Amino acid sequence: MNTLDPTTFAPLERAAQDPVAYATEWKERTGGLVIGSFPMNFPSELVHATGALPVIVQESRTTITEGRSLLPEFYCSYTRSLADQAATGELEVFDAFVLVDHCVQLLGAADVIQRVIPDKPLHFTQFISSMDDAWSRGAVEEKVQAMRAEVEESTGVTVTDESLTASIRVFNENRRLLREFFDLRRTGRLHIPASALQVLVKSSMVMDITEHTALLQQLLDRLDTLSSAPEHLVRLHLSGHFCAPPRPELLNLLEECDVVIVNDDLYHGSRYISTDVPKDGDPFAALASWYLDRNVNVPCATRVQLDVDWQSYLVDTLADSGAEGVVTLQAKFCEPLMLYYPELRRTLGERDIPELLIETEHEGLAAESIRTTIETFVERIRRQRSKQLLPA
Amino acid sequence: MQWYTMGVDLGSTTAKAVIVDAAGEIVASRVVQMGAVSRQAVGVAIESVLEDACLSSEDIARTISTGYGRRLVPGADKTFTEITCHARGAAALSPGVRLVIDIGGQDSKAIAVDDDGLVDRFALNDRCASGTGRFFDVLCRALEVDLDEVVDLALAGTENLEVSSMCATFAETEVISLLAQGSAPADISASVHRSVAARTLGLVAQVGKAIPAVMTGGVAQNKALVTFLSDALGQDLVILDTPQIAGALGAALIARDEYQGQLGLTVQDIETDRQLVAQRSGGLRDCTGCDGHLGDGHAHDHDGGSRRPVPVILQTDALSAAGPSPR
Ligand code: SF4
Repeated sequence: MNTLDPTTFAPLERAAQDPVAYATEWKERTGGLVIGSFPMNFPSELVHATGALPVIVQESRTTITEGRSLLPEFYCSYTRSLADQAATGELEVFDAFVLVDHCVQLLGAADVIQRVIPDKPLHFTQFISSMDDAWSRGAVEEKVQAMRAEVEESTGVTVTDESLTASIRVFNENRRLLREFFDLRRTGRLHIPASALQVLVKSSMVMDITEHTALLQQLLDRLDTLSSAPEHLVRLHLSGHFCAPPRPELLNLLEECDVVIVNDDLYHGSRYISTDVPKDGDPFAALASWYLDRNVNVPCATRVQLDVDWQSYLVDTLADSGAEGVVTLQAKFCEPLMLYYPELRRTLGERDIPELLIETEHEGLAAESIRTTIETFVERIRRQRSKQLLPA
Repeated sequence: MQWYTMGVDLGSTTAKAVIVDAAGEIVASRVVQMGAVSRQAVGVAIESVLEDACLSSEDIARTISTGYGRRLVPGADKTFTEITCHARGAAALSPGVRLVIDIGGQDSKAIAVDDDGLVDRFALNDRCASGTGRFFDVLCRALEVDLDEVVDLALAGTENLEVSSMCATFAETEVISLLAQGSAPADISASVHRSVAARTLGLVAQVGKAIPAVMTGGVAQNKALVTFLSDALGQDLVILDTPQIAGALGAALIARDEYQGQLGLTVQDIETDRQLVAQRSGGLRDCTGCDGHLGDGHAHDHDGGSRRPVPVILQTDALSAAGPSPR
């Protein structure tokens, strides 16, 4: 295994573990505003261009208490955690919230936040989900302008072409560096725990982006890559899990079962960093392009697009990474994923690609049962591997 | 030189050990009852099976452990999950099997088995003990009868009462409440069995129904559940003489395959491999062309019923026989 320089990694890990503490400290240090956004499609560049700190609000690890009475149990853990954070004062550091996605459960959580902390402005502009109609691009461009107005109202700062272009540049650079880690992992030359890679992405969602980029660069400079991929481990692709990251303990558990994660399409992973904002032309129109391009690069179950689909993307990406199987992580009651999953499973099944579904919850991890499940899955892949080695 | 391999299955209520020879024939097997996961019980199972086979530990070329306590088995060369091992063992005991329903002391699984008798898809019960051996222990306690009586009662029951199969604790409360309302114990027992069968059906649905289907694990000895489950599935279940040893046998056969591989006795092609898998199945013949239907002179007891019954012993009995009192 490679090691990430611990001194450089530590502040990233601290920010990922406690984004609110990071935002509080940043606010004290700079006197700036902290604007919370909700996953998965808000362009943070828009907030950054005002000088405020854009923070993607994360699922909290604290037990859901007050939030229980605010949203039904059949809401996903991310949205129930949001409601709980609002009710228990964990969202106090934020000066305003912005949202462009419209998953029904997320809208429910946004309603609760507005009701529980009415003094915090919450701006919602619905980015369209039908991605490839003739009117799609124009509609998204309009929505970007609408959100620009909301952000300007909340921060009291006008977003100029120049400030937005500069923000786009720093976010693109950050994504590029993150993709270097992911590319190295795919080739097998970087072997670090999946939970460490998650820290890199999650911290980029909550930290000052320039500070984050400097730390990433330092990590890369100090990284000794391996000459080849570890052969004895089973190569897996992690799929699913929108909005909130899977627990690090679950990722560790997977890797304890002779597994190496070579790629993923998680929101706290490849999905988040897949696409850069075009750097030329009108920067506001570029944000609309970014939104439309992301769904082409890593298709999402929450969008509708006739010429791309998640399952085809998955099959192609497996060929690219050499992953021998797919583990789908599904947050309990995440409807978009629940509804899409049968299609994923059918496609992988038709191609004889081993696939395993693991459902996750906010509280607890049935570790032994999950371990047995993963070990069986790995044993099955190993057996398939040795069968393929037999001469035809 | 003759060599043997051993499979050890440490479950939640029993420890099982099986020794097979180089041809995959069962040489000896043991089932030891225990109160809780216990290294002592697994030691007893291993010693007893070696004694039965007239072998010493030096004669065992490779040992694989499986089951809930697989990492606690001393001397194991490797571990495999109970899912992989039950599939393998069931395929050995019932060649041609496509679906294995394993209900043990505290979990239940449905396993779709492929052409080679190995795991294709699988589903586990979620974290509750519903539909497992422990569920029936709870029923016995609530009805104040032993397991044999619970089974007889279930087979005699006529009325279908509403009993939850979701949780063993809730079910116990419901059973007590039904008794208080004057429901007949036979109807209660039948209803609990029916609800467990329904829950198992849900598990099977996750991997897909298939024929032939076989039940493994200790609960396969519960005739009432087999009856209700067959009804729920709408198909016959293959009944094994020794459903409890399927996991340990599977482990022993995988150990045999691995050791054979080390010796360079690898197979040359998939077809030969398939035939070998059938052979490896505890030395039983393959059901060539079998579509899973019994009858018309076709049965799945290929060894003519000559298999030796597996002795089930209590851990305490064995420890007493071994000399010092377990106390
Ligand atoms: S997409 Fe899934 S995880 Fe995200 S808010 Fe909606 S239900 Fe929750």
